[in-house]
Amino acid sequence: MRRRNAFWFLALLVAALAFTVAACGGDDDDDDGGGNGAAATGDVEPLPASSCQGLEYKGEGEPDVLIASDLPMQGSSRTQTVQMVQAIRFILDQREWKAGDHNIAFQVCDDATAQAAKWDSGKCSQNAQAYAANESVVGIIGTFNSGCAAIVIPVLNQAPNGGVAMVSPANTWPCLTVGAGCEKSEPDKYYPTGKRNYARVVPYDAFQAAIMADFMKEQGVKSLFVLNDKEAYGLAVATLTRNAAEANGIKIAGFTAWDPKAASYESLMRRVSQSGADALFLGGLIDENGAQLIKDKVAVLGPNDGKVKLFAPDGFTQQSTIDESGVENARGMYMSVAGVPVEKLTGEGKEFVTAFRKQLGGKPVDPYAAYGAQATSVLLDAIEASDGSRASVIENLFKVEVDNGILGTFSFNENGDVHQGKGVVIQYTMYVADKELEVEKELTPRQELAEASLGEN
Amino acid sequence: MLVGLIVVWLLVNFFKDPSEFAAVFLIGLTNGTVYGLVAIGYTLVYGILQLINFAHGDVFALSGLVSFTVLVDWLGVTPADSTAVAVGGILFTLVVVMAVFATVNVTIEFVAYRRLRHAPRLAALITAIGMSFIVQNVGLALYDVDFRSASGLIPRTNVFEIGDVSYTWNKFMVILITVPVLVLLTWFVASTRHGKAMRATAQDRDAAAMLGINVNRTISVTFALAGALAAVGGVLFLTQFNMRYDTGFELGLIAFTAAVLGGIGNLTGAVLGATLIGLIQAFNEGLAWHAPGSDWTRSIVFGILIAILVFRPEGLLGERTPEGA
Amino acid sequence: MAREQRATGGGGGRAALLARTTLERLRSRAFLLVAIGLLLFYPSYVDSAQDLELMGEFFPSLNSMVIMIVFTMMAVGLNIVVGYAGLLDLGYVAFYAAGAYTAAWFASLQFEQVTFHFGAVGVSEDLPGIHISIWLVLLLAALFTTVVGIMIGLPTLRLRGDYLAIVTLGFGEIIPQFVRNGDSIAGFDLTHGTFGISPIDSPGFGSTLNDTFGLPESYRQATNAQELFFWTAVVLLLFTVFCSVRLRDSRLGRAWIAIREDETAAAAMGVPLMRTKTWAYALGAFFGGIAGAYYASFKSGAFPADFYFNISIFLLCMVILGGIGSVWGVIVGGMVLGWLNVEGLATIGSKVNEATGIDFEVPKYQFGIYGFIIVLMMLFRPVGLIPERRHQRELEEGVHDEPLYDATHEGN
Repeated sequence: MRRRNAFWFLALLVAALAFTVAACGGDDDDDDGGGNGAAATGDVEPLPASSCQGLEYKGEGEPDVLIASDLPMQGSSRTQTVQMVQAIRFILDQREWKAGDHNIAFQVCDDATAQAAKWDSGKCSQNAQAYAANESVVGIIGTFNSGCAAIVIPVLNQAPNGGVAMVSPANTWPCLTVGAGCEKSEPDKYYPTGKRNYARVVPYDAFQAAIMADFMKEQGVKSLFVLNDKEAYGLAVATLTRNAAEANGIKIAGFTAWDPKAASYESLMRRVSQSGADALFLGGLIDENGAQLIKDKVAVLGPNDGKVKLFAPDGFTQQSTIDESGVENARGMYMSVAGVPVEKLTGEGKEFVTAFRKQLGGKPVDPYAAYGAQATSVLLDAIEASDGSRASVIENLFKVEVDNGILGTFSFNENGDVHQGKGVVIQYTMYVADKELEVEKELTPRQELAEASLGEN
Repeated sequence: MLVGLIVVWLLVNFFKDPSEFAAVFLIGLTNGTVYGLVAIGYTLVYGILQLINFAHGDVFALSGLVSFTVLVDWLGVTPADSTAVAVGGILFTLVVVMAVFATVNVTIEFVAYRRLRHAPRLAALITAIGMSFIVQNVGLALYDVDFRSASGLIPRTNVFEIGDVSYTWNKFMVILITVPVLVLLTWFVASTRHGKAMRATAQDRDAAAMLGINVNRTISVTFALAGALAAVGGVLFLTQFNMRYDTGFELGLIAFTAAVLGGIGNLTGAVLGATLIGLIQAFNEGLAWHAPGSDWTRSIVFGILIAILVFRPEGLLGERTPEGA
Repeated sequence: MAREQRATGGGGGRAALLARTTLERLRSRAFLLVAIGLLLFYPSYVDSAQDLELMGEFFPSLNSMVIMIVFTMMAVGLNIVVGYAGLLDLGYVAFYAAGAYTAAWFASLQFEQVTFHFGAVGVSEDLPGIHISIWLVLLLAALFTTVVGIMIGLPTLRLRGDYLAIVTLGFGEIIPQFVRNGDSIAGFDLTHGTFGISPIDSPGFGSTLNDTFGLPESYRQATNAQELFFWTAVVLLLFTVFCSVRLRDSRLGRAWIAIREDETAAAAMGVPLMRTKTWAYALGAFFGGIAGAYYASFKSGAFPADFYFNISIFLLCMVILGGIGSVWGVIVGGMVLGWLNVEGLATIGSKVNEATGIDFEVPKYQFGIYGFIIVLMMLFRPVGLIPERRHQRELEEGVHDEPLYDATHEGN
């Protein structure tokens, strides 16, 4: 009986507490906004703490509009996304948290869960609904993963007051903006209102596939085996590369998946060897057990500068690929990435990298930071030209013209893709692995090959 | 019917390209041997406690990671060292890690399972799942999410080469270490006092206790053995493949499937089952003619698990028991 | 509960027993009403609660509440299988997937070859694909998942407890892989593979009901979308709980408990084992399907990456923490762990890090924490936080299914 009483008492206590909260909560709604009290929040309601960090505003006066970043802040992309957020803050600082007449507040939102250690569909949708419901939010910088964008875009598209603008620094899946090679309903299904609200400062992977196919041809590849990790990014880039290579006159010896949970890929490599391919493409991420794949490739098919060459997209283009698979295994492997190495940026890009590195305390600048910064300045330009309403920001987003910006010169076409680009924004770099990644070649994609890579529909 | 189809499929593949078939066979055999070491751990514990020790796979993974610390961080063995140094390093690591993980496994039993000895069987199983996550997270805390590997220590020179088929020393080493370990284990279980006590306890715990067998100690010995075997598996795995904190989950399930396939509780069965699973995986991924491919490997392995449990729960070598039916 | 008490209580004066049970029933009724009231009015005080000093951050947002409630629903469903019937299911995530994909099939553009609309809201009439009202889709999902449950259950349920657990685990691993590879089942795109299916239609009542009764037309386009999703989730949870309680006290429920306590005795008393177990499985799946479909509609997508083994364990942990077999316990366990999962661990982690100045990512170790909870509960309080009285007696009086150390099995 005693324990039961204690329980009863506890329940009552909770109930009483909650009602007290409810009762006295009603009238202190407005005078106690931001929680930490550091920032004056003005009319801006902060986004919920469940996914977003506190509201940031370091400008003068009070903010009147809010932008947020939507990136996976936990798991394997964390290194990149942390720098991207810092780059966003850097641009905001540079512009004194203002865009024209508008004072911009900023929040960092996370679309990953620790459980999944990467983006989580529930979190993406939860965030999107929070942005849509908060009328101060006029723009989102994100997402990092295309799968998450597929959830967020339609919600923001239908948001009250004309939808919320979204600028992605990292989505490379074509079907978010173009229809070729996609489902019939794509990309329109992401824009239920029929009006576009999404732009990206990174070219979609058809272009990466195009330079990859050209580079392979140059290396004398005749027959290519394509592997993918069965994740959204990997499967897409593998499919595009297969199409581009085929269009470029390279025979496709095979196309299959690797299981990231498998212990060994030697039998898979035997299959590659049987196919007679003289090149292997790994469409996927190094985190999906890519290092074991590289090792087994070398064990079965010989070194990468030998009979069977090894190619991989930007999911592999990082130092950890070499470290995890061992220099002797990685040596001679070709890896591509959008843009140019950060040291090679010129003009505004160079200024950004120099100043940003100083802010990082001399740490190396991640290439994604430049894309984050570019996305931010595009969004701020759109807000500057707008009257501060959501509809107007979207309208002006598609009119933004970047002239010698961090990533060069470009504007957006009606799909929200980079258009008439000059400089870094349309360039790719091919690296070759030795002890470190070494620049092999800078490449500019051929439009017709990129189109061919999308496949027919 | 299904078996017939599989045999036909294998035969066609064999005649289309015998040397590839042989090469894939050898790959499967080596992987199967590593699975076998882990599978025996499941079988040992199950035989004596009727408990599926879920944490076993994670103990295995942690042991592999710890052996990385011993072998690479402490001893500083690198691929540049001579084979003799590498072999010496690996043997030393084996001894250390086996001792450590025998202790770890005994501790797990003492802390988590012993209290539940009279609880419903499912209670112990659920606890084992909980332990599995705890061990996995210890690995995560100590080694983070990065992959570790010590491959390349043993040179890839050939043991033998017939036509296109070659078998390398680094793979042969797995068998060279596993076979003596298994022989030792068989001898231990069949001939020593502890081994006899184990078998007696497995058959009837109460009767064993009445005959003066120290049941608690016997169970501890079993867990120590299982832990040491997991450690051997961990070291060998590390010298072949990449591993990280969650490697043990997937591999544990595969090894468990192997144990069930062979007949859980049966040592020979575990090794046989593991070899079969290794071969099935390799054939599925490596053969060119109409193989489902690696997309379906996991489904095939778990499909086998389900089919065996449903249609022949005593496994390939097990005997029918009242509760198994 | 009270009825059982009388039937099995034995000893003690009948009058005293009656008085006690009446009192208890009154108490639990009052408690229940307060709890439901608190839950239903959560949207009206959540903002002010979150503004509180110190404590504010511990109140979850409405969206988080929806997720917590959906997972709690699944836990209540799982409790039917694990708690009532004593069948350990380690693959409950399969039902979640089945429910989510039913919603994705019948309320999205997935099958763009056909155009079929029936009561869908928020989409234009000529949009290709099957678009059925989410309310019907919830029902469809429940039925489809039940069928899946029966299909998995029929061949496997005659297995012994721990073997059954492993088989369910196997299904829990196979189904996500099937979904991932399902973009070309004999050339037909069933699941859209890796890319998943999105967007999925929003719930809503359509314009007619909106005009007549003022019911929201389409949730996602409403200004108070969060509140609508929340209230609907609460209603679904209450429905689940109601059914769950009624089931427990029904003839079927008593048969489940009989099987849980002693399968052989139950069979001897004429309880049809297979049918009873299959019902437990099917009904547990039923609620998993509803929860999965609603969640898919809430987040507007179904992706193969959403369905991994850990979710099954997470749900099991909710049941164990709350109390195996105890509906109210499972709800508490579900809400607590659900909260830890979506917000709590992150909040606590940042508080701890702020206070101590160390940099320790608490959410990263969340499954270690859940594992720890499981082990601690099993060792020290196997009946859970809010035990079901009957189950407690089973454990205390030593009514076992099978002892851990029975040695009928031939060793090596």
